[in-house]
Amino acid sequence: MTQVQRSPTPRLSRQRRYRRLLFGSIGAGVLASLALRFLDYPVLGEAVYWLGIVAALVVWRGTDVALFDERDRSLERRASQLTMTVAAVVLVLGASAARLGATLGLFEVSPFLSGALYGYVGLFGLFALCYLWVRART
Amino acid sequence: MKNGLRTRREAADLSQGELAEAVGVTRQTINAIERERYDPSLELAFKLAAHFDCRVEDLFDPELDADLTA
Repeated sequence: MTQVQRSPTPRLSRQRRYRRLLFGSIGAGVLASLALRFLDYPVLGEAVYWLGIVAALVVWRGTDVALFDERDRSLERRASQLTMTVAAVVLVLGASAARLGATLGLFEVSPFLSGALYGYVGLFGLFALCYLWVRART
Repeated sequence: MKNGLRTRREAADLSQGELAEAVGVTRQTINAIERERYDPSLELAFKLAAHFDCRVEDLFDPELDADLTA
């Protein structure tokens, strides 16, 4: 069956425009910030970065159009669960390998790797706090 | 979940975008429901049923076991 191409409806076209603005602000801010840092203007780069973040917040909170719907939230939830699963596997295997390697004198755990593993631990600590907070409110 | 959304939408001569606009979601969400890749929330299922003036179970078939539906 041939689909008739129709012009986008008002709410959907506004939603699309604002979503582009939201992500565009962050992307432009980050890219401009990196470029300015590369050109040796670190403070200006940081200012532009924050400009992008604030612009995104203004778009997000300033419009009456819902930028994300229930399927977007469902996708985010599933992606978050997948992220946590991958992080858990990396932490369990990485921490065990790091401990074993250090104990057996096979290698020395670099401060970078150690920091990354503690970062994962912090992530799960934050997850536990968020989980408890959400559970208390549900 | 199996559903008759596409059939009812086309019978009503609506585009996915127009139906999405009517029930307050994105066109991609309507498309995902029609392709049975996304199961809508109860709220959206009721909105869709109300839009087509039918019952939720006329629109969606959860394919429950016979002993559950008895």
